[in-house]
Amino acid sequence: MKRTFLLSVLGLCLLAAGSVHAAMRVDIYGPGQNSVNLALAAPLTGPEKEAGNMGAELQKLINENLSFLPFMRLTDPKAVLGGTVLQGYEPPNLDFKRFQLAGSDIVVTTYWPNGDRGTSPVQIRAFETNTGGRLFGKEYPRVSSKELPEVADRFCADLLEVLTGSGAFFRSTLAFVKKTGRMSSNVWLCKPTGRNLRQITRISGEALSPAWSIDGRFIVFTHIDPKSHSLGVWDRKKGSVQRVRFPGNVVIGPSFTPDNKVAVALSNGKYPVIYLLNHAFQKERVLEGGHSINVSPTFDKTGTKMAFTSSRLGGPQIFLKDLNSGATTRVSMNGGYNTEANLSPDGTLVTYSRMTEYGHRIFVQDMVTGAERQISFGPGSDEQPSFCGDSYFIAFTSSRGGSRGIYLTTRHGGDAKKVPTGGGDASFPRWGMPEGE
Amino acid sequence: MKRYALILALVLALAAGFGCSKKTATADPNADQGMDPALQAAVQQITDGRVLFAFDKFDIQPEYKEVLKTKAELMKQYPSIRVRIEGNCDERGTQEYNLALGERRARAAYEYMVTLGVNPSQLEMISFGKENPVVQGSGESVWSQNRRDDFRVIAQ
Repeated sequence: MKRTFLLSVLGLCLLAAGSVHAAMRVDIYGPGQNSVNLALAAPLTGPEKEAGNMGAELQKLINENLSFLPFMRLTDPKAVLGGTVLQGYEPPNLDFKRFQLAGSDIVVTTYWPNGDRGTSPVQIRAFETNTGGRLFGKEYPRVSSKELPEVADRFCADLLEVLTGSGAFFRSTLAFVKKTGRMSSNVWLCKPTGRNLRQITRISGEALSPAWSIDGRFIVFTHIDPKSHSLGVWDRKKGSVQRVRFPGNVVIGPSFTPDNKVAVALSNGKYPVIYLLNHAFQKERVLEGGHSINVSPTFDKTGTKMAFTSSRLGGPQIFLKDLNSGATTRVSMNGGYNTEANLSPDGTLVTYSRMTEYGHRIFVQDMVTGAERQISFGPGSDEQPSFCGDSYFIAFTSSRGGSRGIYLTTRHGGDAKKVPTGGGDASFPRWGMPEGE
Repeated sequence: MKRYALILALVLALAAGFGCSKKTATADPNADQGMDPALQAAVQQITDGRVLFAFDKFDIQPEYKEVLKTKAELMKQYPSIRVRIEGNCDERGTQEYNLALGERRARAAYEYMVTLGVNPSQLEMISFGKENPVVQGSGESVWSQNRRDDFRVIAQ
């Protein structure tokens, strides 16, 4: 009866929504437990020798990173009897008992074999406290203070991958737009934790709806100046931006397909319809049209399913199209104004915003069970939801803080965490995984 | 005392300057360039009358058909006039859908004016969605003013 439940917290969370890749390896020991308790042992340069330089800084960064995971509870070091400075960084010199007593499921140790100054390797390990089993262990070679944020992100991605099967959250970079005035905004990037914040376009006019290419090289966006709409294309490799205009002067909500083509709403001379463009940004074919507004396409990772917004039934509603069969099904069944569809990469969930009497709210529709769940509750207006590559985290725009900012939640909802993006209204978050970020 | 007088003079001069620039921006910029007064009046009339819409709608209400008829007659009379129709929405909808709705609003006016005989080459369209409100704030009195087509004369 020692192990009453051999179900993991994350496993429960992810399996509840139908995920099959949740290979959780951490055991929990009580019914009703819905989070993982993780303790960070003090970083060491030797037995009971606490690292105070880069070690302390890395510890702080990892702590900040893990605080973004809503299912992770970080153990207060003061709650660990005997303290977190250990004899050793792995068994048998690692005293698991003190972490068990503090209620920790996992303990993370950090060891700097050559000291934590200059450029040194660092070894990070994670253990299950109840069994002493090692969940993860890796050496990050040649770490200097400049690389500490990257090492923190890489470790957290590795740990998350061990726990859930996907480390996409910490490997991602958010693209978003920041407003600087009336009809004036540009595209910015940052990590989901707010780090590595930088502006990538500097064009007069308004940038909207940025979207990453799957390979992380390009970002496309809508650009509006006083005379025209255009498709903005930022090339990470060249560091340049080009603008492409189309007949009809309409460019709305571009998105990349998995084979790196762009789908975007353009005018067919009558209505905005969704076109697939070829690699030279020329119209290839219509993906969805008709005598109604059709905008905001997004795709699953196979490129066979497309979620979009259409006014074919009067007010805007969310639809899902099977691009192999051509069959279209209605997704949003409640409310008269549902827009901004975003399909999870695994194709099982569609998130969108619904206009309510209190402002817009974010909903998730499970395409397997047909169940709809409200995942944001304001205050203010919550809009523009976007799935992370793990189909678990969702970024969205909210005015709950007075001005518009970017927030993170999960497909189950819960407390939303604000992404620090500096001054100015931030909106239109979109996840991407550029290599070498 | 001399210094105060100088500052006052500067402030007055600046204020007068701002006053002038505002006037020329709202009135006709070519007024002092010897433009035909009738053409000037036509440009003003085309620019002035907005077309307003109901929430999430883009059909032209009968009262605004009259407004468009007047504009169309003037544009037929002055074929040198070119107009950009700017479709706009109120703040309640979401941005991408509103860009599409704004386009439908601009297109509705465009198509109606073309059926009235305006040469399509005299017209162009753009949607600003909810990005360019004419009145700031909330409430139906504000929203109703922002669900509109603006008519900008781009050549005369």
